[in-house]
Amino acid sequence: MVVDDHPMWREGVSRDLTAAGYDVVATTGEGRQAVRIAAAARPDVVVLDLQLPDISGVEVIHGLAETHPGVRILMLSASGEQQDVLDAVKAGATGYLLKSAGQAEFLDAVRRTAAGDTVFTPGLAGLVLGEYRRLAAEPAAPGDDGAPRLTERETEVLRLVAKGLSYRQIAERLVLSHRTVQNHVQNTLGKLQLHNRVELTRYAIEQGLDD
Amino acid sequence: MAGGLQASLWRAVAVFRIAALAYVTILVINNVGVYLRPWLAWPVLAVTAAWTVVTTYAYANPARRGWPLLVADLLVTMAVLASTVPVVGPAALEDGRPTLAVAWHVAPVLAWAVAGGRRWGLAAALTMGATDLVVRAHWDQAAWTGTILMSLAAFALGYLVRLATVAEQRLQAAIELEAATRERERLARDIHDSVLQVLSLVKRRGEALEGEAGELARLAGEQEAALRALVTAPAAAAVADDATDLDLVALLSRYATAGTTVSSPAGPVRLPARVAEEIGAAVGAALDNVAKHCGPGTKAFVLVEDEPGAVTVSVRDDGCGMDADRLARAADEGRLGVAQSIRGRIADLGGTVRIDSRPGDGTEVELVVPRRPIS
Repeated sequence: MVVDDHPMWREGVSRDLTAAGYDVVATTGEGRQAVRIAAAARPDVVVLDLQLPDISGVEVIHGLAETHPGVRILMLSASGEQQDVLDAVKAGATGYLLKSAGQAEFLDAVRRTAAGDTVFTPGLAGLVLGEYRRLAAEPAAPGDDGAPRLTERETEVLRLVAKGLSYRQIAERLVLSHRTVQNHVQNTLGKLQLHNRVELTRYAIEQGLDD
Repeated sequence: MAGGLQASLWRAVAVFRIAALAYVTILVINNVGVYLRPWLAWPVLAVTAAWTVVTTYAYANPARRGWPLLVADLLVTMAVLASTVPVVGPAALEDGRPTLAVAWHVAPVLAWAVAGGRRWGLAAALTMGATDLVVRAHWDQAAWTGTILMSLAAFALGYLVRLATVAEQRLQAAIELEAATRERERLARDIHDSVLQVLSLVKRRGEALEGEAGELARLAGEQEAALRALVTAPAAAAVADDATDLDLVALLSRYATAGTTVSSPAGPVRLPARVAEEIGAAVGAALDNVAKHCGPGTKAFVLVEDEPGAVTVSVRDDGCGMDADRLARAADEGRLGVAQSIRGRIADLGGTVRIDSRPGDGTEVELVVPRRPIS
């Protein structure tokens, strides 16, 4: 399923996907519609433009998680709106790609997202690293079980991703298997998403919205 | 400065003057029996009242709040004060009777402080205080206290006016910046929704094509990156609020192109302007080096990390790389221009530089600059 408000883009991406053997079950240019359609069309992967005219990418991701849990989301954005990208990742998107990425890179990202892997750009790795540092520097809230922390290995891997090394190069440099590198990256994201959910729940309880 | 606070202060001075006039009137009525020349007290009181009315109207208009009015105000008030000597007479003054301008004579001092700030307010207070002391002719505790209180009031008011002026200027600057940023963001959104999308699409579709079409696609990709940097980076730089602090992320995002990725935390990384600029220059030099020594199509990655004690910036390329010998040899032969300038800049900031290179695996330059404790 392809969600992008730019008709030319929607068209182009769908064509590429179809040519590569994927079944594009739906396309739309609006976030609310995307959430509704996804509930019925039940796509495996949603290719989502972060900037939609009606609701934010984060809201779309929350909506998708509610109506169609387990869907994998690959975000696309034309520019690195950094906070938006970070929020989307924390909300549950597992892949991120700049629109300036090439066709082959895009198809590879879709394939990996569908397989359940995380797709990071160097930019996203930098954002996630920064987010962990920010959380570590922040004073812990009362009753908090502590901000999520990266292991030394995870930090190392994330830094190398941010410096533009491919998983294969990282595996070579750290003498790890490709799968292990992938797992480390996935863990960094998983912890952040879990923390985000805990935060949201606590916020809801504090505000008395948990009925 | 025709700001709202200034207008309120002038109104406050006028109110003070009217209240002081009422006080003077009561004192004259109570004491007129013991004056040396009681019949002269009434014309003087009339002048006091008339001048109160004149100044109330005159100061209300910003155009008339000039030095002529301020000097006239001071002189008229001093004259009224001085008239105490012939009217009240030394005997009654000696007895502790108040002057004909008691309290009222502080009004022009306040006016000077509001118009000219601390120094002029203090000057007027000292002039008026000296006149008051001369008129009283006996210098007891109360006489001194009055003058000192007046000086302090002038000083404090002048200081307050300066604070208000600065605050208003800051507010104005913030409003202008806000408007400019908004406009830029609007433009950035528009460009983002239209031009950027089309350019990246052209790049994408044409990438696989041979010859001229492929070249056009590549150009479109470059323009897209350049345009994106243009519409996003300056807005962020303008937000660097303090004149002494710069956002390193905004500074470095200028270097983002089709071949150069800049990764950073989501928020700003604030550093003193000089430190940020030096780091920016060092990164620029490192990227120039990549462009010079590595073939076209070499990708470069800049990573900014903000740790509690230090800021780390690394510049990595996926180019040819070089072996450690070559690096050392170049240093020996004294032709390590770029590396030298990077090391020099960072050493000046108390930081360290690590250059790591392997043949076939690109070169990485890592700059670590300690954060000075915020004083």
